Amino acid sequence: MGFLAAGLGAGIIALAAGFGIGMIGKSAVESIARQPEAAGDIRGAMLLTAVFIEGVALIGAIVCILLALGIGQ
Amino acid sequence: MSLILRRVSITIILLLIISPVLLASSVQQETQESSAEQQESEGSSIDVMGKVSDHNYFETPFGYIQLPRIFLADGQFYFYPNTGAALASGDFVETEEGLIHSSGAPVILDLSITSHLIYVWLGLLLTFLITLWASRKYKSGNGRDTEPKGALLNTFEVLFVFIRDEIAKEFIPEKKYKKFVPYLFSIFMAIAFMNILGLMPWAAAATADITVTATLALITFMVTQLNGTKDHWRHVFVFPGVPAWSRIILTPVEILGLFTKPFALAIRLFANMLSGKIMIVSILGLIFIFTDMFGAAVGAGSGIFWVILTAALYFLKALVAFIQAYVFTLLSAVFIGMAVEEEEHDHEETSVARSRDVITQQ
Repeated sequence: MGFLAAGLGAGIIALAAGFGIGMIGKSAVESIARQPEAAGDIRGAMLLTAVFIEGVALIGAIVCILLALGIGQ
Repeated sequence: MSLILRRVSITIILLLIISPVLLASSVQQETQESSAEQQESEGSSIDVMGKVSDHNYFETPFGYIQLPRIFLADGQFYFYPNTGAALASGDFVETEEGLIHSSGAPVILDLSITSHLIYVWLGLLLTFLITLWASRKYKSGNGRDTEPKGALLNTFEVLFVFIRDEIAKEFIPEKKYKKFVPYLFSIFMAIAFMNILGLMPWAAAATADITVTATLALITFMVTQLNGTKDHWRHVFVFPGVPAWSRIILTPVEILGLFTKPFALAIRLFANMLSGKIMIVSILGLIFIFTDMFGAAVGAGSGIFWVILTAALYFLKALVAFIQAYVFTLLSAVFIGMAVEEEEHDHEETSVARSRDVITQQ
Protein backbone atom coordinates (compact mmCIF):
# COMPACT_ATOMS: atom_id res chain seq x y z
CA MET A 1 0.00 0.00 0.00
CA GLY A 2 2.88 2.33 0.73
CA PHE A 3 4.17 1.96 -2.82
CA LEU A 4 0.72 2.57 -4.27
CA ALA A 5 0.29 5.70 -2.18
CA ALA A 6 3.76 6.93 -3.11
CA GLY A 7 3.20 6.35 -6.82
CA LEU A 8 -0.19 8.02 -6.85
CA GLY A 9 1.13 10.88 -4.75
CA ALA A 10 4.11 11.45 -7.04
CA GLY A 11 1.80 11.51 -10.05
CA ILE A 12 -0.57 14.02 -8.50
CA ILE A 13 2.32 16.20 -7.37
CA ALA A 14 3.82 16.22 -10.85
CA LEU A 15 0.41 17.08 -12.30
CA ALA A 16 -0.28 19.91 -9.89
CA ALA A 17 3.22 21.40 -9.94
CA GLY A 18 3.34 21.16 -13.73
CA PHE A 19 0.01 22.94 -13.98
CA GLY A 20 1.09 25.66 -11.56
CA ILE A 21 4.44 26.31 -13.20
CA GLY A 22 2.79 26.15 -16.62
CA MET A 23 0.40 28.90 -15.55
CA ILE A 24 3.30 31.05 -14.39
CA GLY A 25 5.19 30.46 -17.63
CA LYS A 26 2.12 31.30 -19.69
CA SER A 27 1.46 34.56 -17.88
CA ALA A 28 5.13 35.52 -17.92
CA VAL A 29 5.53 34.92 -21.64
CA GLU A 30 2.32 36.81 -22.35
CA SER A 31 3.46 39.75 -20.22
CA ILE A 32 6.88 39.81 -21.87
CA ALA A 33 5.25 39.75 -25.29
CA ARG A 34 3.02 42.65 -24.28
CA GLN A 35 5.77 44.64 -22.60
CA PRO A 36 9.23 43.47 -23.73
CA GLU A 37 11.03 46.28 -21.86
CA ALA A 38 9.86 44.84 -18.51
CA ALA A 39 11.29 41.39 -19.28
CA GLY A 40 13.87 41.55 -16.48
CA ASP A 41 11.38 42.35 -13.73
CA ILE A 42 8.92 39.78 -15.01
CA ARG A 43 11.60 37.10 -15.11
CA GLY A 44 12.51 37.79 -11.48
CA ALA A 45 8.90 37.64 -10.32
CA MET A 46 8.33 34.48 -12.38
CA LEU A 47 11.32 32.73 -10.79
CA LEU A 48 10.28 33.74 -7.29
CA THR A 49 6.74 32.40 -7.73
CA ALA A 50 7.91 29.21 -9.44
CA VAL A 51 10.24 28.58 -6.53
CA PHE A 52 7.34 28.70 -4.06
CA ILE A 53 5.36 26.16 -6.07
CA GLU A 54 8.45 24.01 -6.31
CA GLY A 55 8.86 24.13 -2.54
CA VAL A 56 5.33 22.86 -1.92
CA ALA A 57 5.75 20.16 -4.58
CA LEU A 58 9.00 18.99 -3.06
CA ILE A 59 7.46 18.68 0.40
CA GLY A 60 4.93 16.34 -1.24
CA ALA A 61 7.76 14.47 -2.97
CA ILE A 62 9.52 13.96 0.36
CA VAL A 63 6.32 12.50 1.83
CA CYS A 64 6.20 10.10 -1.14
CA ILE A 65 9.82 9.06 -0.59
CA LEU A 66 9.09 8.41 3.09
CA LEU A 67 6.01 6.36 2.12
CA ALA A 68 7.94 4.30 -0.42
CA LEU A 69 10.73 3.60 2.04
CA GLY A 70 8.22 2.62 4.70
CA ILE A 71 9.64 5.03 7.26
CA GLY A 72 7.32 5.70 10.17
CA GLN A 73 5.46 2.41 10.07
CA MET B 1 41.28 32.34 -27.69
CA SER B 2 38.52 30.40 -29.44
CA LEU B 3 40.88 27.43 -29.65
CA ILE B 4 41.29 27.42 -25.87
CA LEU B 5 37.54 27.75 -25.41
CA ARG B 6 36.96 24.84 -27.75
CA ARG B 7 39.50 22.73 -25.89
CA VAL B 8 37.93 23.56 -22.56
CA SER B 9 34.44 22.75 -23.77
CA ILE B 10 35.58 19.45 -25.30
CA THR B 11 37.28 18.53 -22.04
CA ILE B 12 34.13 19.35 -20.07
CA ILE B 13 31.96 17.28 -22.41
CA LEU B 14 34.39 14.36 -22.17
CA LEU B 15 34.43 14.61 -18.39
CA LEU B 16 30.66 14.73 -18.24
CA ILE B 17 30.40 11.63 -20.41
CA ILE B 18 33.10 9.76 -18.55
CA SER B 19 31.86 10.49 -15.04
CA PRO B 20 28.59 8.53 -15.44
CA VAL B 21 30.65 5.56 -16.63
CA LEU B 22 32.76 5.83 -13.48
CA LEU B 23 29.58 6.04 -11.46
CA ALA B 24 28.27 2.98 -13.26
CA SER B 25 31.36 1.02 -12.36
CA SER B 26 31.03 1.99 -8.72
CA VAL B 27 27.34 1.02 -8.75
CA GLN B 28 28.32 -2.32 -10.23
CA GLN B 29 30.99 -2.79 -7.59
CA GLU B 30 28.46 -2.12 -4.88
CA THR B 31 25.98 -4.48 -6.53
CA GLN B 32 28.54 -7.25 -6.52
CA GLU B 33 29.45 -6.58 -2.93
CA SER B 34 25.87 -6.53 -1.75
CA SER B 35 24.94 -9.60 -3.82
CA ALA B 36 27.89 -11.44 -2.33
CA GLU B 37 26.73 -10.47 1.11
CA GLN B 38 23.08 -11.28 0.61
CA GLN B 39 23.12 -14.53 -1.26
CA GLU B 40 19.93 -15.62 0.45
CA SER B 41 17.91 -12.64 -0.80
CA GLU B 42 16.58 -12.91 -4.32
CA GLY B 43 18.61 -11.30 -7.07
CA SER B 44 21.12 -8.53 -6.59
CA SER B 45 20.08 -5.19 -5.22
CA ILE B 46 21.40 -1.73 -5.95
CA ASP B 47 21.81 0.35 -2.84
CA VAL B 48 20.28 3.59 -4.14
CA MET B 49 19.89 5.19 -0.73
CA GLY B 50 23.41 4.14 0.22
CA LYS B 51 24.70 6.35 -2.59
CA VAL B 52 23.06 9.44 -1.13
CA SER B 53 23.22 8.72 2.60
CA ASP B 54 25.93 9.66 5.03
CA HIS B 55 28.84 7.30 5.72
CA ASN B 56 31.64 6.95 8.21
CA TYR B 57 34.14 6.62 5.41
CA PHE B 58 35.32 9.06 2.78
CA GLU B 59 35.14 7.71 -0.73
CA THR B 60 37.95 8.58 -3.16
CA PRO B 61 38.70 7.16 -6.59
CA PHE B 62 41.48 5.13 -4.98
CA GLY B 63 39.53 3.56 -2.16
CA TYR B 64 37.90 4.33 1.13
CA ILE B 65 39.35 6.44 3.93
CA GLN B 66 37.92 5.56 7.32
CA LEU B 67 36.95 8.63 9.31
CA PRO B 68 37.28 9.24 13.07
CA ARG B 69 34.46 8.27 15.40
CA ILE B 70 33.65 10.44 18.40
CA PHE B 71 31.02 9.36 20.91
CA LEU B 72 29.60 10.69 24.14
CA ALA B 73 28.29 7.68 26.03
CA ASP B 74 28.09 6.84 29.70
CA GLY B 75 29.10 10.40 30.60
CA GLN B 76 32.42 10.13 28.86
CA PHE B 77 33.93 11.01 25.50
CA TYR B 78 35.46 8.33 23.31
CA PHE B 79 37.77 9.05 20.38
CA TYR B 80 38.73 6.48 17.77
CA PRO B 81 40.62 6.95 14.51
CA ASN B 82 38.06 4.79 12.69
CA THR B 83 35.16 2.38 13.11
CA GLY B 84 37.45 -0.65 13.28
CA ALA B 85 39.39 0.81 16.19
CA ALA B 86 36.13 1.53 18.03
CA LEU B 87 35.12 -2.11 17.65
CA ALA B 88 38.59 -3.41 18.54
CA SER B 89 38.68 -1.44 21.80
CA GLY B 90 35.74 -3.49 23.05
CA ASP B 91 33.83 -0.47 24.33
CA PHE B 92 31.42 -0.48 21.41
CA VAL B 93 29.52 -3.23 19.64
CA GLU B 94 27.95 -3.12 16.21
CA THR B 95 24.19 -3.46 15.85
CA GLU B 96 21.61 -2.90 13.14
CA GLU B 97 21.32 0.78 14.09
CA GLY B 98 25.04 1.50 14.22
CA LEU B 99 27.42 1.32 17.13
CA ILE B 100 26.24 1.15 20.74
CA HIS B 101 28.16 1.09 23.99
CA SER B 102 28.98 -2.45 25.11
CA SER B 103 27.51 -1.83 28.56
CA GLY B 104 24.16 -1.14 26.90
CA ALA B 105 24.24 2.56 27.73
CA PRO B 106 22.86 4.64 24.85
CA VAL B 107 25.17 6.83 22.81
CA ILE B 108 24.06 10.30 23.88
CA LEU B 109 25.99 12.22 21.25
CA ASP B 110 27.50 10.87 18.07
CA LEU B 111 29.97 13.51 16.90
CA SER B 112 31.66 11.22 14.38
CA ILE B 113 33.18 12.89 11.34
CA THR B 114 31.17 11.76 8.32
CA SER B 115 31.60 12.06 4.58
CA HIS B 116 28.98 14.80 4.26
CA LEU B 117 30.69 16.81 6.97
CA ILE B 118 33.95 16.58 5.03
CA TYR B 119 32.21 17.99 1.96
CA VAL B 120 30.66 20.81 4.01
CA TRP B 121 34.13 21.68 5.28
CA LEU B 122 35.54 21.51 1.76
CA GLY B 123 32.83 23.85 0.48
CA LEU B 124 33.38 26.32 3.30
CA LEU B 125 37.16 26.13 2.94
CA LEU B 126 37.00 26.82 -0.80
CA THR B 127 34.68 29.78 -0.21
CA PHE B 128 36.97 31.11 2.49
CA LEU B 129 40.14 30.73 0.44
CA ILE B 130 38.72 32.23 -2.74
CA THR B 131 37.21 35.18 -0.89
CA LEU B 132 40.42 35.77 1.03
CA TRP B 133 42.45 35.56 -2.16
CA ALA B 134 40.16 37.98 -3.98
CA SER B 135 40.13 40.47 -1.12
CA ARG B 136 43.95 40.50 -1.09
CA LYS B 137 43.93 41.14 -4.84
CA TYR B 138 41.55 44.04 -4.39
CA LYS B 139 43.60 45.46 -1.53
CA SER B 140 46.70 45.42 -3.71
CA GLY B 141 44.80 47.51 -6.25
CA ASN B 142 44.04 44.88 -8.89
CA GLY B 143 40.43 45.39 -9.85
CA ARG B 144 40.00 48.57 -7.84
CA ASP B 145 42.42 50.95 -9.51
CA THR B 146 42.61 48.95 -12.72
CA GLU B 147 40.36 46.46 -14.40
CA PRO B 148 40.37 43.02 -12.73
CA LYS B 149 43.00 40.78 -14.30
CA GLY B 150 42.70 37.04 -14.67
CA ALA B 151 39.77 34.73 -15.34
CA LEU B 152 39.21 33.78 -11.70
CA LEU B 153 39.10 37.36 -10.43
CA ASN B 154 36.75 38.33 -13.25
CA THR B 155 34.44 35.43 -12.42
CA PHE B 156 34.56 36.39 -8.76
CA GLU B 157 33.64 39.97 -9.56
CA VAL B 158 30.76 38.95 -11.82
CA LEU B 159 29.33 36.68 -9.11
CA PHE B 160 29.82 39.23 -6.35
CA VAL B 161 28.25 42.08 -8.30
CA PHE B 162 25.37 39.79 -9.25
CA ILE B 163 24.67 38.89 -5.61
CA ARG B 164 24.98 42.52 -4.53
CA ASP B 165 22.94 44.18 -7.26
CA GLU B 166 20.44 41.56 -8.35
CA ILE B 167 19.73 39.94 -4.98
CA ALA B 168 20.72 42.13 -2.03
CA LYS B 169 19.93 45.57 -3.46
CA GLU B 170 16.74 44.30 -5.06
CA PHE B 171 15.09 42.79 -2.00
CA ILE B 172 16.66 44.48 1.01
CA PRO B 173 15.95 48.20 1.66
CA GLU B 174 18.55 50.52 0.24
CA LYS B 175 19.90 51.73 3.60
CA LYS B 176 20.57 48.34 5.10
CA TYR B 177 21.53 45.97 2.30
CA LYS B 178 25.28 46.43 2.70
CA LYS B 179 25.29 44.62 6.02
CA PHE B 180 23.91 41.43 4.49
CA VAL B 181 25.92 41.20 1.28
CA PRO B 182 28.80 39.22 2.90
CA TYR B 183 26.39 36.69 4.38
CA LEU B 184 24.44 36.27 1.15
CA PHE B 185 27.59 35.97 -0.93
CA SER B 186 29.24 33.42 1.34
CA ILE B 187 26.10 31.28 1.58
CA PHE B 188 25.78 31.37 -2.21
CA MET B 189 29.39 30.34 -2.75
CA ALA B 190 29.29 27.63 -0.08
CA ILE B 191 26.11 26.03 -1.43
CA ALA B 192 27.35 26.26 -5.01
CA PHE B 193 30.66 24.61 -4.06
CA MET B 194 28.91 21.85 -2.10
CA ASN B 195 26.57 21.17 -5.02
CA ILE B 196 29.38 21.18 -7.58
CA LEU B 197 31.56 18.89 -5.46
CA GLY B 198 28.61 16.50 -5.36
CA LEU B 199 28.82 16.15 -9.14
CA MET B 200 32.01 14.10 -8.85
CA PRO B 201 31.00 10.46 -9.38
CA TRP B 202 32.47 9.17 -6.14
CA ALA B 203 31.44 12.17 -4.08
CA ALA B 204 28.23 12.94 -2.27
CA ALA B 205 26.53 16.32 -2.38
CA ALA B 206 26.54 17.54 1.20
CA THR B 207 23.40 19.52 0.43
CA ALA B 208 21.56 16.24 -0.25
CA ASP B 209 21.54 15.82 3.53
CA ILE B 210 18.64 17.34 5.45
CA THR B 211 20.85 18.15 8.45
CA VAL B 212 23.15 20.31 6.32
CA THR B 213 20.34 22.24 4.64
CA ALA B 214 18.49 22.58 7.94
CA THR B 215 21.60 24.11 9.49
CA LEU B 216 21.92 26.56 6.61
CA ALA B 217 18.24 27.46 6.89
CA LEU B 218 18.63 27.87 10.66
CA ILE B 219 21.43 30.38 10.10
CA THR B 220 19.20 32.34 7.72
CA PHE B 221 16.40 32.15 10.30
CA MET B 222 18.69 33.53 13.01
CA VAL B 223 19.98 36.33 10.78
CA THR B 224 16.41 37.20 9.83
CA GLN B 225 14.98 37.25 13.34
CA LEU B 226 17.93 38.93 15.04
CA ASN B 227 17.74 41.79 12.55
CA GLY B 228 13.96 42.06 12.73
CA THR B 229 12.71 45.59 13.23
CA LYS B 230 9.87 46.74 15.46
CA ASP B 231 7.60 46.75 12.43
CA HIS B 232 8.48 43.13 11.68
CA TRP B 233 7.39 41.98 15.14
CA ARG B 234 4.33 44.18 15.06
CA HIS B 235 3.42 42.54 11.79
CA VAL B 236 3.72 39.12 13.44
CA PHE B 237 1.89 39.69 16.72
CA VAL B 238 -0.46 42.59 16.03
CA PHE B 239 -1.26 42.57 12.35
CA PRO B 240 -1.98 46.18 11.38
CA GLY B 241 -5.16 47.28 9.72
CA VAL B 242 -7.45 44.33 10.34
CA PRO B 243 -10.45 43.91 12.69
CA ALA B 244 -9.40 42.91 16.20
CA TRP B 245 -11.20 39.55 16.24
CA SER B 246 -9.41 38.27 13.12
CA ARG B 247 -6.09 38.56 14.96
CA ILE B 248 -7.07 35.39 16.86
CA ILE B 249 -6.48 33.53 13.59
CA LEU B 250 -3.84 35.79 12.04
CA THR B 251 -1.36 35.81 14.92
CA PRO B 252 -0.91 31.99 15.12
CA VAL B 253 -0.67 31.85 11.34
CA GLU B 254 1.99 34.56 11.31
CA ILE B 255 3.96 32.85 14.09
CA LEU B 256 3.73 29.57 12.18
CA GLY B 257 4.84 31.44 9.08
CA LEU B 258 8.08 32.41 10.81
CA PHE B 259 9.04 28.75 11.03
CA THR B 260 7.62 27.41 7.77
CA LYS B 261 9.83 29.77 5.76
CA PRO B 262 13.18 28.27 6.86
CA PHE B 263 11.59 24.81 6.81
CA ALA B 264 10.61 25.18 3.16
CA LEU B 265 14.06 26.62 2.46
CA ALA B 266 15.75 23.52 3.89
CA ILE B 267 13.39 21.03 2.22
CA ARG B 268 13.72 22.71 -1.18
CA LEU B 269 17.49 22.49 -1.37
CA PHE B 270 17.57 19.01 0.17
CA ALA B 271 14.95 17.48 -2.13
CA ASN B 272 16.41 19.03 -5.28
CA MET B 273 19.89 17.70 -4.66
CA LEU B 274 18.66 14.32 -3.42
CA SER B 275 16.37 13.72 -6.38
CA GLY B 276 19.14 14.43 -8.88
CA LYS B 277 21.44 11.82 -7.40
CA ILE B 278 18.68 9.23 -6.96
CA MET B 279 17.61 9.75 -10.57
CA ILE B 280 21.13 9.19 -11.90
CA VAL B 281 21.77 6.10 -9.79
CA SER B 282 18.35 4.69 -10.71
CA ILE B 283 18.86 5.20 -14.44
CA LEU B 284 22.33 3.64 -14.32
CA GLY B 285 20.86 0.85 -12.21
CA LEU B 286 18.57 0.02 -15.13
CA ILE B 287 21.66 -1.34 -16.96
CA PHE B 288 22.09 -3.98 -14.29
CA ILE B 289 18.38 -4.65 -14.01
CA PHE B 290 18.28 -5.25 -17.78
CA THR B 291 21.34 -7.49 -17.54
CA ASP B 292 19.62 -9.48 -14.84
CA MET B 293 16.40 -9.81 -16.80
CA PHE B 294 17.49 -10.23 -20.44
CA GLY B 295 21.16 -11.13 -20.32
CA ALA B 296 24.43 -9.29 -20.68
CA ALA B 297 24.05 -8.36 -24.36
CA VAL B 298 20.82 -6.41 -23.86
CA GLY B 299 22.22 -4.85 -20.72
CA ALA B 300 25.37 -3.66 -22.48
CA GLY B 301 23.45 -2.52 -25.58
CA SER B 302 20.91 -0.48 -23.65
CA GLY B 303 23.77 0.79 -21.49
CA ILE B 304 24.85 3.14 -24.30
CA PHE B 305 21.44 4.79 -24.21
CA TRP B 306 21.34 5.08 -20.41
CA VAL B 307 24.84 6.54 -20.26
CA ILE B 308 23.93 9.22 -22.81
CA LEU B 309 20.78 9.98 -20.84
CA THR B 310 22.83 10.23 -17.66
CA ALA B 311 25.27 12.59 -19.37
CA ALA B 312 22.32 14.81 -20.27
CA LEU B 313 21.12 14.61 -16.68
CA TYR B 314 24.58 15.67 -15.54
CA PHE B 315 24.26 18.87 -17.53
CA LEU B 316 20.91 19.45 -15.87
CA LYS B 317 22.42 18.77 -12.46
CA ALA B 318 25.27 21.21 -13.08
CA LEU B 319 22.64 23.82 -13.92
CA VAL B 320 20.47 22.92 -10.93
CA ALA B 321 23.49 23.19 -8.65
CA PHE B 322 23.78 26.91 -9.44
CA ILE B 323 20.04 27.55 -9.65
CA GLN B 324 19.46 26.10 -6.20
CA ALA B 325 22.32 28.10 -4.71
CA TYR B 326 20.80 31.19 -6.34
CA VAL B 327 17.30 30.34 -5.10
CA PHE B 328 18.49 29.77 -1.54
CA THR B 329 20.31 33.11 -1.56
CA LEU B 330 17.38 34.88 -3.20
CA LEU B 331 14.87 33.62 -0.64
CA SER B 332 17.24 34.40 2.22
CA ALA B 333 17.44 37.94 0.88
CA VAL B 334 13.66 38.15 0.53
CA PHE B 335 13.09 36.98 4.12
CA ILE B 336 15.78 39.28 5.50
CA GLY B 337 14.36 42.15 3.47
CA MET B 338 10.89 41.53 4.92
CA ALA B 339 12.26 41.49 8.46
CA VAL B 340 14.44 44.60 8.28
CA GLU B 341 11.95 46.69 6.35
CA GLU B 342 10.64 49.71 8.18
CA GLU B 343 7.18 50.76 7.25
CA GLU B 344 7.13 53.90 5.20
CA HIS B 345 4.07 55.88 6.01
CA ASP B 346 3.77 57.53 2.64
CA HIS B 347 2.82 54.08 1.25
CA GLU B 348 5.45 53.95 -1.40
CA GLU B 349 5.33 50.66 -3.29
CA THR B 350 8.78 49.20 -2.91
CA SER B 351 9.95 45.96 -4.42
CA VAL B 352 10.10 44.58 -0.89
CA ALA B 353 6.44 45.29 -0.33
CA ARG B 354 5.62 43.64 -3.62
CA SER B 355 7.54 40.52 -2.76
CA ARG B 356 5.79 40.42 0.60
CA ASP B 357 2.46 40.41 -1.23
CA VAL B 358 3.58 37.42 -3.27
CA ILE B 359 4.52 35.56 -0.13
CA THR B 360 1.35 36.37 1.79
CA GLN B 361 -0.71 35.16 -1.10
CA GLN B 362 1.23 31.95 -1.16
